[in-house]
Amino acid sequence: MIIEVERLRKEFNGVVAVDGISFSVERGEIFGFLGPNGAGKTTTINILTTLLAPTSGTARIAGYDVVKQPEQVRRRIGLVPQEVVLEGDLTARENLIFHGMLYGLSRQQIESRISELLDIVELEDRAESKVRTFSGGMKRRLELVKVLLHEPEVVFLDEPTVGLDPQTRRRIWEYIRTLNTERGVTVFLTTHYMEEAEQLCDRVCIIDHGRILDIDQPDRLKHRLGEGEMVEIELAERCEEFVRSLGEAGYRIKSATGCRVTVVAERSERVLAEVFSLADRLGTGIVSISIRKPTLEDVFIHYTGRSIRDEAAGDTRIREIARRLKH
Amino acid sequence: MRFLRELYVVFWKEMLVWVNNPMLPVVRALVFPMMWIVIFGSAFGGEVNHIPVAVVSEDSGELSLAYLSMLSTGRTLELKYASPSEAEKLLKTRRVYGVLHIPADFTERLRSGEGVTVSLSTDESTPQIANAMAAHFAKVSRSFSAQLGLEDAVRVERDPIYGRGVKYLDYLAPGVVMMTILFSSIFSGGLNLILDREFGTLKMLMVSPISRDAIILGKIFAGVAQSIASGVVALVVAILMGVHLKSGAAGFALVILLMFISGFGFIGMSTAFATRITQLEQLMVVMQVLIMPMWFLSGGLYPLESMPDWMKPLAIVNPMTYATDAARAVMIRGIIWETLLLDLAVISAFAIAMFLVGSYSFKKTLGGIK
Repeated sequence: MIIEVERLRKEFNGVVAVDGISFSVERGEIFGFLGPNGAGKTTTINILTTLLAPTSGTARIAGYDVVKQPEQVRRRIGLVPQEVVLEGDLTARENLIFHGMLYGLSRQQIESRISELLDIVELEDRAESKVRTFSGGMKRRLELVKVLLHEPEVVFLDEPTVGLDPQTRRRIWEYIRTLNTERGVTVFLTTHYMEEAEQLCDRVCIIDHGRILDIDQPDRLKHRLGEGEMVEIELAERCEEFVRSLGEAGYRIKSATGCRVTVVAERSERVLAEVFSLADRLGTGIVSISIRKPTLEDVFIHYTGRSIRDEAAGDTRIREIARRLKH
Repeated sequence: MRFLRELYVVFWKEMLVWVNNPMLPVVRALVFPMMWIVIFGSAFGGEVNHIPVAVVSEDSGELSLAYLSMLSTGRTLELKYASPSEAEKLLKTRRVYGVLHIPADFTERLRSGEGVTVSLSTDESTPQIANAMAAHFAKVSRSFSAQLGLEDAVRVERDPIYGRGVKYLDYLAPGVVMMTILFSSIFSGGLNLILDREFGTLKMLMVSPISRDAIILGKIFAGVAQSIASGVVALVVAILMGVHLKSGAAGFALVILLMFISGFGFIGMSTAFATRITQLEQLMVVMQVLIMPMWFLSGGLYPLESMPDWMKPLAIVNPMTYATDAARAVMIRGIIWETLLLDLAVISAFAIAMFLVGSYSFKKTLGGIK
């Protein structure tokens, strides 16, 4: 185990940010912390990277205690924080040289690694450009390889694709996979993007309010909801009766808020037939119906009863307000 | 109408923010104007009073006593009687701004209706004081002669021992050079730290295995080096403009040493402030409440002798006063160690203290794990 965390707890002036979490990460894994903003992801990363002392509990990286042997830990890790920490007035090459010097590498070592690293993220031709002139995605890419310069055993990525467009996000995922498979670097990342956790991580740890809700492979997490597909139905009226009838017919209802019902079914075509005939019988119209594979989003809702995405949270709030205004 | 309403909305929001953030507006709206009125109203251009002058008198006749008593009337001069060698030393160590020599035949010559010349050896490194002193001597000598019924019986011969030909620019330049150090220390020390923290650049250093002390010292030394660079530019520009630099290369080197010592103090000070500050706006307040007064109350623009007495203690506890004074002494009077010792002792003590406070508070904000 390259990361071992036991009963880790962090309070800020009495507010609990991380509430006694325990988990471990295997060497070579891409391990993801998935949770909404404020779940305690960054706090955990800050503790694991020796930036923050925990209130209690222990954390070890490659066998070294983050509090008692911080220097040993620092030598073995790389951190890509949420904010860009490159010097905009220096060129890409100068940024890398400075980074290498911080880790005590010789000029020759640094020079010999730079072009190879820049090649990975396709920034070779921009080596002599000032970082200030880079786009957000280019800066991210440079940050990603910068931390590889001192050949760390674990790389911590805090929200590696936040604020990037979907296309750039996919490219960043590619690079993360490359550095994991080709260089054998263990990757610990935090994200609040479901897709990112699903696409990239070998194992995902779902965290909310500083507590771990579940840890497993994305597929297995989804199977917790049961085998099959998610059928979402939105009704025009007589919603409660409809939900009750569906339940009585033996369908697994995952969630029912107002007139939206989500059902898990192994064979969705059977559900569809049932839904239409039921709606007919009750004399209500169906506003919409959709069938999809379960996502980690569903897993998160399963555990917390709410959606992870800020936008989604906002949506429900707006809907709530709209509902109140009508009355 | 629509425009006015929109204008009002923007205005209203700004005012709301203004009154809801009590600390800054109160300081900005009330404290600053008061402070500036007081500083500009009293610190500059007041009457220069209590100028210390040594008297070497070889004549004990009644007319010389009468002349001296007339000189000491009013608040302009403070006379100290001394032997020739004592007087010379007092002038050298800047205890007095002038030495008045009264010849042995002063009373005798005036009695016989002849004119007499008294010599006034001066330190003109502060031109405002030298001028005030000379004007007082001229005025007193004229009215003294008039009382004797003679015209121009007592002539004062001004002999600048130190600071010959010094102009206001020469007086101002050393202060401006040290001001450059003070101001740039704020930017390369405090501001830099706040920005680093804001943009997370500090994090990059924090997760690396280099020692925390190296981070702090490296930042502080870089800050000092940057301040010295701008100080040197100011010094070179001053020299190109013809400003006095008495002891040549040695003087130049000594001024740079002064920049180094005081730069350390100022960087330490601004770092200490920056660790307690999270917003740039607060730094601007510190600038205005602390840094600007440090500059204006340093004697850099106008001699301390022209300040009202209640304000002088502020100048005395102001480290900038000593930095400016030392730089000016070196540039105008040359390297005279006796006159520099106090200044050097004060700014060194300030530098050491501020360096310790600054690096301690910096280390504390780094937080986390040692």
